[in-house]
This record gives sequence, C-alpha cells and structure tokens, in this order.
Amino acid sequence: MKNKGIVIFLIILSLIIVGVVVLDYNASKPGMQPANPYEFNVDPFSKIDSALIRYKESRNLALNFSEPTGISFRGNQLFVVGDQKMQIIEPAGKLMKEVSFDQKPTCVYASTDEIFVGFQKSIAVLNRDGVKIADWNSFSDSTVITSIAEQSGTVFVADAGKRIVRKFNLGGKPQGEIVGKSGNDQIHGFIIPSPYFDLAFNMDGELWVVNPGKHSLENYTVDGKLRTWWQASSIKIEGFSGCCNPAHFAFLPDGSFVTSEKGMIRIKTYKPSGEFEGVVAAPSKFAEDGHAPDLAVDNQGNIYALDSDKKMLRLFVKK
Amino acid sequence: MKNCIKISLIFIFLLFSLAGMTQQQRFPKPEFGNGYSQPTPITPEPRALALEYTDVVVLLVVLSLASWMAIRKRSRRGLLWLSVFSLIYFGFYRNGCICSVGSVQNVALTLFDPGYAISITTLLFFLLPLVFTLYFGRTFCAGACPLGAMQDLLIIKPISLPEWLRKTLGIIPYLYLTLAVLFAATGTDFIICRYDPFVGIFRMDAEFHMVILGIAFLLMGMFVARAYCRFLCPYGVILSWMSRFSKWHLSITPVACIQCKLCSDSCPFDAIDYPTDEKQSKSTKWGVNRFLVYAILIPLWIFIGGFAGSRAHTWISKANPTVYLAELLVSNPEVRNDQKNLDVQAFLSSGKPLETLVKEATVIRRKFYTGSWIAGGFMGLVIGMTLLSQVVYRKKADYQPHKGNCYSCGRCMNFCPVKK
Repeated sequence: MKNKGIVIFLIILSLIIVGVVVLDYNASKPGMQPANPYEFNVDPFSKIDSALIRYKESRNLALNFSEPTGISFRGNQLFVVGDQKMQIIEPAGKLMKEVSFDQKPTCVYASTDEIFVGFQKSIAVLNRDGVKIADWNSFSDSTVITSIAEQSGTVFVADAGKRIVRKFNLGGKPQGEIVGKSGNDQIHGFIIPSPYFDLAFNMDGELWVVNPGKHSLENYTVDGKLRTWWQASSIKIEGFSGCCNPAHFAFLPDGSFVTSEKGMIRIKTYKPSGEFEGVVAAPSKFAEDGHAPDLAVDNQGNIYALDSDKKMLRLFVKK
Repeated sequence: MKNCIKISLIFIFLLFSLAGMTQQQRFPKPEFGNGYSQPTPITPEPRALALEYTDVVVLLVVLSLASWMAIRKRSRRGLLWLSVFSLIYFGFYRNGCICSVGSVQNVALTLFDPGYAISITTLLFFLLPLVFTLYFGRTFCAGACPLGAMQDLLIIKPISLPEWLRKTLGIIPYLYLTLAVLFAATGTDFIICRYDPFVGIFRMDAEFHMVILGIAFLLMGMFVARAYCRFLCPYGVILSWMSRFSKWHLSITPVACIQCKLCSDSCPFDAIDYPTDEKQSKSTKWGVNRFLVYAILIPLWIFIGGFAGSRAHTWISKANPTVYLAELLVSNPEVRNDQKNLDVQAFLSSGKPLETLVKEATVIRRKFYTGSWIAGGFMGLVIGMTLLSQVVYRKKADYQPHKGNCYSCGRCMNFCPVKK
C-alpha cells in the first residue's frame, strides 16, 4: 500500500479525535464535571496566630431571637433587633423592654434621645422608652436600609439597594445624599455587591462609611466630600477578602476601628490610621459559612458581637 | 494621502482608547490574595461595541481583498499573506470569537428562541462570507477564516484520498451542521464552539484534552490537507452550496486551458475536476436507469432518516442539561445528597420544584422529537443526493476547480503556464 505509514498514522489520529470528543461529551454532563475550578481553599487562612488575638470572650448572652439582625449600644443599654421586635437589654443580661413591629428590622441605632430602627424600606423612630414617635417611609422601591447613625441633628442612613448614604433631619425630611464620588480620580462611588453597607461616627464626630467592594473605609464630610480613606485588600489576616468586606464596623473609644467580616468570619481591630492592630475573634469562634456579626462597643472599649448563627450576644474584652 | 493615514491612525487610537474605557469592570474582582489563580472563563470577555464594528469592517476588507486576489490579481502569495493576517487578527487577537463558523448556531438560536436576539455583528459575520461566496466562490476560506489559515500553513505532504472515502467523509459536515442547528435551536449547547479544535490554541488556554484535539487535527492536516474544513466544518456546507452558484470563481487558467495537465496534482484538497472521459459519456442507458432508481429512492431515504432521528431523539435530548438533570433526579433521587454534584446542589438551592424542572425537560424533549424528525430527514436527503451525484454525468472539457469544494487558495494558478 502506498503511504502505508501515513495511513496508519492518520487512523490513529482519527481514533484520538473521536476518543477526545466522546470523552468530553460524556464528561460535560451535569454532575460529571471535575471539582469546582473556582474553589479556593481558605482553611490555611482561618488559622490565626494566637499572639495576634488581643481579646478574650468574657461572657455571652443567649438571645430570644430566631434571627437577630442588628445591635446598638447607648447609655449602658444594649438595643438588639431581629425577627419582628426590638429588645432593650442591660449589659448584665436583664431584659428591660421589648417592642414589637409588623416587619423585620435590619438595623438599629440609639442616639441620646431616640432609637432609630431600620427596616428594608422604612425607618421607625422611637423614644428611649420604646414608644414609636414617627415613621419614615419616603424611600424608593430598591432601597435596602442596612445602617443608621445620627450626628448633630442629622440622621445618616446607608441604603445598600441604591448604593448611597441618605441624609435626613430629625423630622425625617431628606437633606441630601452622599454618593461616594469625590473627583475625577476617585469616581468609583460605593460598590455594594451584597446588602452589607455600614456607617458610623467616631468619637470626633467624623463620618466613616464602608465601601465594601473596595475593601475600604472612607471618611466623608457631612456634605459628602471624601476626606480620607484606607483600604486593606487581602485574604491574609491584615486585610479584607472576598467580594465585599468588612460587613460591619464600630469605633473603640480611642478611635480605632473594630471590623467584622462575612465569608470567613473574623473580628479585628485597626488603628485610626487603618493599620492592622490585632484580632478580636478568630474564624474558629464562629459557624462556618455563617453571618457577619453586627458590632457595638461600650464606653470601656468592650466589644459586643451579635452572633446571629448561634443566636447570642458575645462580649469580648481586652486580654 | 498622508492626511488620510494620519486621520486613520487618530481614529484607531481613539477607538482603542474608547474600548479601554468601556471595558472597565463594574465591580472589582474578588480579592483572595496569594495562592489563588482565577480560572480563565470559557468565552472571552465581551468586546466594546466599537471594536465589534471594527471587526466587521476588517472582515469586509479581508473578504474584498481575498476576492480581488483570487479572481482579478490571481495572487497565491497575496492570499497566503492575507490568511496569515486573518489567523493573527481573527484567531489570536480576537481569540477566535465570534467566528463565521460558529455564528451558524447564533442564527439557529435566534430563529427558534424568541428570547434570544442575535447581534448585528454576529449576523454580519454569518452573512458577509455567504454573500461574497455567492459572487466570488469560497474566498472566505482562502483568506479570512483563521481555522482554515492555521491548517493551510501546516500542509506538508498532502495525500490524495480515494473518491469513495472523500464522499463518505463528506457526509460528516452535514451531520455536524444538523446536530449543531438542532442543539442550538433547542438551547442545548453550541457544539461547534465546544469542539472547535483550534480556539483553545488561539486563546492559549485550552484544557489538556482540547490541546490533544487541536494537535491531532494539525498533525492530520499535514497529510490530509485542511482535514477540519473538508470533513467537519459545518459552515463549509453552506459555503459549498453558495459557491456552486457563484457568479465569478477562481479559474486555474486565465484564458483557455491548453490541457498541459501541470495543475492536475496541484490541489491538496482534491478539488480539481478533470476533463471527462469520452467513453464514460457514451454509456448512458445504464446510467439513466441508475439515476431514476436513486431519484425515486430519495423520499424513502428522507423517511428512513426522519424515522431513525425520531427514534433517537430521547438519547440525543440527554445532551440538554435540563433534560439530563431532570432524568438524573427522577431516576436517582439519592443524588440529592451528593454534595459534590454541583449541578444538583445548584438546582436544589435554587428552590425550584422538581415538577417544574420535569415540565421544562418535557417541553425540550418535545422540541427534540420534532427537530430529530427534520434533522434525520435532512440527513436522509443528503445521503440520497450523495448517491444520486454518483450517477450524474457532467461533461467537462478542461481542468477546472470544483466550485463547491474549491477553497480558492490559488495554489493551482501557480502551476498554469498560460499567462494573460
């Protein structure tokens, strides 16, 4: 036969081609795929060097909530919301008051005179006795309220759905918005891939807002101008990881930040400059794939973490 | 002239600057830090619209140049360099997507799925080569197709295949086209893209088995010239139809053929028709009888094909992920506990009831039943027509390129001693 070697070679190639196509066809059926190619094993990062852990868990309170969602601390009282209610609790654990709502709250903020309870698309304003004094309902359909803070008579509301910070006066009248755009070189705005968008005032009355998609904390003037910011992107302990973190934060009395992350849950402290300081609670303290705990800090710098997976309030004090 | 060049350069600069702006990601990629490498997506990232239009313009220019070089200029060298450009631009730069070959599926999907609208650029990628082929022959294959160019450059020692083998293997592209349209029309898969042996090479990110597939085709192409084009390319089927009716077509000789036979072995694709034998033309009676029998048998072939297709529809429809998943969950309920089965877990976490999935699968399978009847009938027609073509006699006086099979590569022109 002419070109016998070539013909045999071609037959072998034909068999290889048919074999590859058949194998690929069978391997591409649902459930037949190899391991998830996007999976990233984060186990090594969940192990924290004990020398970095600066806090210890001193106490925890079991909560009578099936789904606690938010916490605030003011005047030696803890305000916890979830399900369709709010509980005012003494730090020792004694229940002072319980207020019911007709929908599920998402967050809470207690000021000197009022308590602001945020729902997905509205805010209820209560006096410190828990009596409702106003309802703010002038929000858009895509609003998702995730955090509230008040300073000098202006209420700042984080709207994760619209990706803006809304401003109101104490009467509930809109006073403007902060969109997080500050200039040509920083036109990112707030990047909120999931409904975690927190804000708070530090002890000097400065407004800080999380930009979770940028893994940053940003300081704005009350007029909405970006003043400064710091960013920490890393799966390692000194940074924030995933699509969007930190999920919650609060301030210690010295102006340091306490942050809580979702995904691989960890609570950490950062200096006022944004430099990583230490760990409050390692991922091993929390349920795997659980929710990021909301945070509150008392006047002594003790940190309250609302563990919605274990349905308890956990107190961390400095070692 | 200089001004024209300047304006063109400024235009190109602006186009690429604009593209850079529009391609910014809305959200930053998740940050995982060290130790994680994000897998490359199967399909390349969408291009800016301006660049997509640029691609269409480039295709139009390449087709025009290829047609001019094949018909008027008669330049094999020009066609070769044009195909190298197409390989670099449409292949390596554009990652082979979207290509005219795969656009068949987009057209099929948009015809059968009201929820899918084909983009104008994809439609043009499908139509432009067909229009050019209708006028100038398969100049797309000669100068614009990156798949063809890659194979063409690696032809080393082409062997001539016997006619029976060529005819038999020549049915595969029809089968591939039929399945590609059926799968696209039912929203199952784009199999032309999935099994494109060269796209992984263009993107430099093919999985190992696809690298093997690509290399196997290239090695085969060293001896069986353009093996993919001749015995698989589904778009080539439509191009071949169009080319048979082409108004102008590449010719071996620019004027009258002097029957020198120098070109007879010049085509690595066996696409040159030889002058017909006078003896063959005289044995007519037996030929006419065979022609009549084969013609009468065509409806039977169509029915047999359609029937066979309809019988096979259950098996074919399992290629659809929805049908397969529904069957899997119904026949193996325990698979629900298999945490490693990502598709099952994704379905369960979606909250969709199994009944809904089964209903969807039933609708898809019904589409496969109808589609398989048509597909099988079409394949029956192809087989019937292939047999019929065996007994059709066409008198040819000169050495001529076969209009359907010729890729207009221009190799044969170089062998012709006749000049204008």
